Amino acid sequence: MLLGNSGFFGSEPVQTALIVGTCAALVSALIGMFTVLRGNAFAGHALADVSSAGGAASLLLGVSPLLGFLGMAWIAAFGMEFLGVRKVRERDLATGIVLGAGLGLSALLLYLDVTTTSTTGAAVSVMFGSMFAIPRSLVGPALMASAAVFLLAGLLYRPMLLTAVDPDLAAARGISPRWIGLLQLLTLGLAVAVCALAIGAVLATALLIGPAGAAIRLSRRPAQAIFWASVIGLTAVWGGIWMAYESYYWFSGNAWPVSFFVVTLVFLFYLVAVLVARVTGLSARPKPVIWPHCEA
Amino acid sequence: MTCCFTRLQQCCITKIGVCLLVVAVDSEGLPVIPFNHQKTLVCSMPNHCLRSRMLARLPRIALFVGLGMAQMATAATIYAVGVENEYADVIGQIGGGYVTVNTIESNPNTDPHTFEASPAVAREIAGAQIVVRNGVGYDGWAKKILASNPNPKRKVIVVRELLRLPESTKNPHLWYKPETMPAVALAVARSLTELDPGHAAYFAANVRKFDTSLQPWHLAIASFKAQFGGTPVAVTEPVANYLLQAAGCDIKTPWNLQAAVMNGTDPAPQDVSIQNRLIKQHSIKIFVYNKQVTNSLTNSFLSKAKAEKIPVVGVYETMPTGDSYQSWMLTETNALRNAVERGTLTTVPK
Repeated sequence: MLLGNSGFFGSEPVQTALIVGTCAALVSALIGMFTVLRGNAFAGHALADVSSAGGAASLLLGVSPLLGFLGMAWIAAFGMEFLGVRKVRERDLATGIVLGAGLGLSALLLYLDVTTTSTTGAAVSVMFGSMFAIPRSLVGPALMASAAVFLLAGLLYRPMLLTAVDPDLAAARGISPRWIGLLQLLTLGLAVAVCALAIGAVLATALLIGPAGAAIRLSRRPAQAIFWASVIGLTAVWGGIWMAYESYYWFSGNAWPVSFFVVTLVFLFYLVAVLVARVTGLSARPKPVIWPHCEA
Repeated sequence: MTCCFTRLQQCCITKIGVCLLVVAVDSEGLPVIPFNHQKTLVCSMPNHCLRSRMLARLPRIALFVGLGMAQMATAATIYAVGVENEYADVIGQIGGGYVTVNTIESNPNTDPHTFEASPAVAREIAGAQIVVRNGVGYDGWAKKILASNPNPKRKVIVVRELLRLPESTKNPHLWYKPETMPAVALAVARSLTELDPGHAAYFAANVRKFDTSLQPWHLAIASFKAQFGGTPVAVTEPVANYLLQAAGCDIKTPWNLQAAVMNGTDPAPQDVSIQNRLIKQHSIKIFVYNKQVTNSLTNSFLSKAKAEKIPVVGVYETMPTGDSYQSWMLTETNALRNAVERGTLTTVPK
């Protein structure tokens, strides 16, 4: 059905959605794994939320929304890292405060979008995404941002992984946790921007931590987790796009939003992963990973 | 203080609350029940988990503060508000010097569908003796302001009711219907006469003058229909549909795509493909573009139409500054004719 339907792959909005969605799924599988391992899910969520202010600003300034999301996510990342903090409790506090300020700014910018420009549906597209309305011209930048994430994460894979799992050991080995943490937040910012472009700033968290969270329950090694997170993320995104496309026929022309289907699929995969982990005896809590440098 | 929820969970709970509120506020006329729902939701949580009970009350407090200041002394002339500026223009033409007219939706550079009322706006509307509003959910906020400031002497003209259209009418842009404004002018004159019977003859004369001044526009529509009836057109959004239909145009764009653009929701890829094909295969003769309701999708249609050299007619949703209702409508109808006749690409001059 999926392959037989030439209208599906022939449709320009579907093609754009598939490319941007694939970028978002792959990038978030990689970065999401570090984020979940580092216990940074809240920071990831906050970055995504705050990036909405950038999306809103981009509509005011007439620049690319990807640039807007990215700029704001980076500003927030710097803010959190420099307000911040080693202890988890304090980190949460700094993150929460930056999150509040960012969303407040977003409220102002969305208000200005509505009251000073002819932009329509700004709040929905910035917050919840509109994959079928992504302009073609954004495909290139989305691919570049994703490539940058893979390049950075590829170069810094081991130090990032070690810092994520055991900052003290990493420090003992001469890795500056602060700099690695900052670099991690920068890659996280890139990933957030691509996800926010695809499924909206508020929903970006779902893609960022959902597949990674599910994959970590099913895997014993980081690389394995990244692989499964990619599989889950891609299935959710492609499945979501296909369901949204088909929903046009289910509801006599009133297609449901893509973001809803993607996020729902991510949630279902997470539930399945928890069940599978229980049934197969993999503990319901994330397994401690066996890290590459200890095996040698 | 310790809490059984993590910050991420608290954050999500707050957000779900906000979404409930958004859903509630969106459905016009039913703000009470959802507030209570929200209250139950908030009350059912342990105190320490949600320290922001106040948050649930804030919208209500804001409403009271805003509306408490809403009464206003009126001048010697009749004070009238046309919520949308084209209605205000007609009130002014009928009432002349005996009426002071104010308007709310008057910025031709913004999208009126997403208008947000402020306390100052509430004050202006609540203090009016005559209010003309469109209805069909276009100005639901005005309906709420009027309902919370009852005044038995105030005359409220809802254009949808005047035209005997159902509340479920899909296309709210009623002022683009050729038969709308004569009816509005008559209703305005009736209300003015009740408030100021001494000038009944003056108001009646203005109605006749107004009807006569609409003739050039009505003739332009009729001649377009006779000459170019059945012209296939694509649109971004239904703003000018009533005019296009009156002129005999065949609107090819799927309704769901128009509605998605108008409401700022997700478009269906199938509908986007149909529209792209209409442009690419030159199945349309005119592309009608609402300059006040734009997003990345309408921009992509616009650039495709320009690339294919299909004449674009830019239209306004709100009456442009410096125009009267009659001149505005005539300009846009002439732009349609120029587009078919000479392939002129029109961005309607302000």
